[in-house]
Amino acid sequence: MRPILLSGHERALTQVKFSKEGDFIFSVSKDHNVCAWYSANGERFGMYKGHQGALWSVDVDPTTTFLATGGADNTMRLWEVKTGKQLKQWEFPTSIRRVEFSEDGKLLLGVTEKRTGQLSNIYVYDIAQDVNAEQSDEPTLRIVVDELPRVTVAGFSYLNRYIITGHENGCVAQWDAKTGEMIADEYPHEDGASVTDLQWSADRTYFITSSKDKTAKLQDARTLKVLHTYVADTPLNSAAITPEPTNYVILGGGQAAMDVTTTSARQGKFEARFYHKIFEEEVGRVRGHFGPLNYVAVSPDGKCYCSGGEDGYVRVHHFDPPYFDFKYEVEREMQGHMNRRMEQEL
Amino acid sequence: ADSAKRSSADKAVVEGRRRQLEEWLAWREQVVEELVEERREMGLPDISEEMAALVVDEEEEGDAKVVD
Repeated sequence: MRPILLSGHERALTQVKFSKEGDFIFSVSKDHNVCAWYSANGERFGMYKGHQGALWSVDVDPTTTFLATGGADNTMRLWEVKTGKQLKQWEFPTSIRRVEFSEDGKLLLGVTEKRTGQLSNIYVYDIAQDVNAEQSDEPTLRIVVDELPRVTVAGFSYLNRYIITGHENGCVAQWDAKTGEMIADEYPHEDGASVTDLQWSADRTYFITSSKDKTAKLQDARTLKVLHTYVADTPLNSAAITPEPTNYVILGGGQAAMDVTTTSARQGKFEARFYHKIFEEEVGRVRGHFGPLNYVAVSPDGKCYCSGGEDGYVRVHHFDPPYFDFKYEVEREMQGHMNRRMEQEL
Repeated sequence: ADSAKRSSADKAVVEGRRRQLEEWLAWREQVVEELVEERREMGLPDISEEMAALVVDEEEEGDAKVVD
């Protein structure tokens, strides 16, 4: 599994995302730049220039037509992927911490930072499905989050039914994506330990959250029930789910240099950790970064994953065949049962 | 005696995994079934736009199969 190193950013990476076809990687960093790369060879496809501050978040729509970004310059922006043209800019009183498209690409949400005199807000915009169309200035929904602490992450569930949010106190909440009403709030993570990431399964019926409490939790989007727990030995910044039929989750984190006395890579635990999604056991680690992993993402086709580091690099790893062949005894057994059942039915 | 103890412990681990895997697969089957039903009721295709992004590639390769 020889990694490809994407070097083009000058400061810490904050988020990395694959296009839904898996052929592009989009990265944002504290250096104000948005980059697009070919995932196959790591060549840079282009840059999206205009932001005036650190970037916190990036997302791409299902057809790789629109790119959304947000950051410390208090703006969320919409770009045309192909040309690099900025199509829209929305301005807010505070920075944008998170952006995410719905699974159909028709809605875009932005989470604003909570600051003195400003609550965390979630803004939802309808996205006109045409690069030449005028995009709306006004959100179709605005959720003022006053009952819960600062929102750190948010996204749309399957069928755009719910918005799920993660909070700085370890809380995960479910909101009606049409009315903005809060339906439920749960506390899967340790009290006071920030939820640092929330990523979906391919069909968005379940998701994984990572936390500073050194755990990641797999949760049901409908009930918020915790389905599985993954225990690490370092604060986590990110967690991703590999697409079925593979059953892994990838966790990334590590202690920031200022939080550890020894700053060697070994001490900092700057590795991507692979866990079995169902059995909750750690199955492997991938080393490489010289600082904490701020984000991990898996290609929707399952062929590779990438990580964005505090060290300013994006590392892309294409999986070797043994990764796909490895199975636990009970998985092989179950596969055997299913094959036999299918043969009988045929 | 040690190896007997170990083998029964191994057996318990395998049993536990088997149960976890069965539970997971049963849950997934139910969720996927309900999701497809809801999508059809809403007049939507069986899979979402973002999942369909992967199908296009496979059609180009001459094999239009949905992998979930």
